[in-house]
Amino acid sequence: MTSAKANDSIGALRRNLDAGSGAAKPRNIDVSPLIDSDGGLIDRSIYTDREIYAQEMRRIFARSWLFLAHETQFKKPGDFFTTFMGEDPVIVSMDKEKKIRVYLNSCRHRGVRLCRADAGATKMFTCTYHGWSFDLAGALQSVPNETAYPDTFKKENWSLIEVPRVETYKGLIFGNWDKNADSLEDNLGDMKYYMDAMLDRDPEGTEVVGGVMKWELEGNWKLAAEQFATDWYHVNMSHASALMVLSPTGKGPKADIAATPGRQHGSENGHGAGFPTHPKSRFDAKMVHDYYDYDFLRERLGDDAVEGPMTTGHATVFPNFSYLPVNGSIRVWHPKGPDKIEVWAWILVDKSMPQDVKDAQRLYNLRTFGPSGIFEADDGENWSEIQAISGGFVTNSVPLNFQMGIGSEREDGTYPGQTSELYSDAAGRAFYRHWAKVMNTPAWHETN
Amino acid sequence: MSEAINIGSVDDIDEGEAKVIPAAEAGTEDDIAVFHAEDGNFYALNDECTHETASLADGWIEGTEVECPVHSAKFCLKSGEAMCMPATIAARTHKVEVVDGDVLLYPNVPVAEQA
Repeated sequence: MTSAKANDSIGALRRNLDAGSGAAKPRNIDVSPLIDSDGGLIDRSIYTDREIYAQEMRRIFARSWLFLAHETQFKKPGDFFTTFMGEDPVIVSMDKEKKIRVYLNSCRHRGVRLCRADAGATKMFTCTYHGWSFDLAGALQSVPNETAYPDTFKKENWSLIEVPRVETYKGLIFGNWDKNADSLEDNLGDMKYYMDAMLDRDPEGTEVVGGVMKWELEGNWKLAAEQFATDWYHVNMSHASALMVLSPTGKGPKADIAATPGRQHGSENGHGAGFPTHPKSRFDAKMVHDYYDYDFLRERLGDDAVEGPMTTGHATVFPNFSYLPVNGSIRVWHPKGPDKIEVWAWILVDKSMPQDVKDAQRLYNLRTFGPSGIFEADDGENWSEIQAISGGFVTNSVPLNFQMGIGSEREDGTYPGQTSELYSDAAGRAFYRHWAKVMNTPAWHETN
Repeated sequence: MSEAINIGSVDDIDEGEAKVIPAAEAGTEDDIAVFHAEDGNFYALNDECTHETASLADGWIEGTEVECPVHSAKFCLKSGEAMCMPATIAARTHKVEVVDGDVLLYPNVPVAEQA
């Protein structure tokens, strides 16, 4: 078990699980009976079962491209940010060569979380327990009372566990524990077109403003990831009161907006994006709308992007990164057990925007999405309601329906990849099709 | 213009209740709901909610509005106007008069919005 390892130190004890060493050998569940992605049926146990959740940690989060941070969070060597890959804590930091490197945030000595700050700047990561200290390249620099260790103890064998693959796409930093994974860009594929409508409006690129908003929800992480991939359907119902508050008449949007046409993209790698299509698609925050030169954007991104995914819409990059272009919300759905999500949300703006426009977008974001956003609260409530009752045996035995728009997916000649109508579960079916495939495929750490 | 239809005595429809006049009887394309509103007056709208399939006659009459029993869209009984999400399209109105204790419905005769 060496060649495919992210780091030879992982599993170096070679747990003898088959011989009954005491640690339970992970049992891999065949999830194909739980997902009918062609027929649009989902077994509810995928949101509640603890063994399935543990398998997701091994086979989804330990081998998928996971969003970590934005490049503008790191300016100087030593700048760091702590986050999670699945439930694994990691430190994202800039080394002396200004390269972004990602380490497991756990001391190699006794396993304490090495860095407890959310973000900051440092010269060294020093453990608060016994004082083992690691430099920005992850190397063990200092061991108090080192002379007491035997001659066989070599500090170079106790570097931080490093995430072997770190790649960026237009400012977004992703990491992957699988050193043989397809490149990030290959994995994103057609999804890049939809992401560009948010990430590439400004030739200068994007930046994040403010801190990271974090809040907890009762609910399985897939409920949120799936909704952002596939669910425009809930908007008029779930968000009726918010839409009324924001509409000029106070009664909600006009008929042609409430029943908008649009497209929804679902990819074979599980990514999804949906968006209304309208010749006058615009940004909701007035100052942001006034700031943009839509003719310039049409030339830069193309008419179809400007009239579609550039403004109002939703998207998920499999497994747990989602975004909303209209308000610049980018977020990760951190799994915290099968029934809990920790949401981490950043606000993304264009670098070239004047400060007052950035402020306007940030305030619009806070009003609508985020822990106190008038739309966000509706969504969290729905997910938590699903989760709260899922422990009932009968409840958990009844499949859920993802059948809207079955068979409508096609290449429409305008938008890349397979798309369906906006009101559809097509991207949800694609999300779960990919989820099932990955869950049923041994990962790098399982092969000899 | 249609002739008026006598749909019965004012006492036949309690305040806060509504009666459906089937399309065949009204000579219209759609069923009509005649409401006895809380202001004591009678109003008529197409019975089907403009949002999705639902009978407004089964809804909740509050003041001079009716709330759809399915998705809680509200319509003004006087003008038919959609007052909130998820409805965005007005319901069609039909003129109603009370003459000598009888409720007279004028199918397909719209009511001008009352100030």
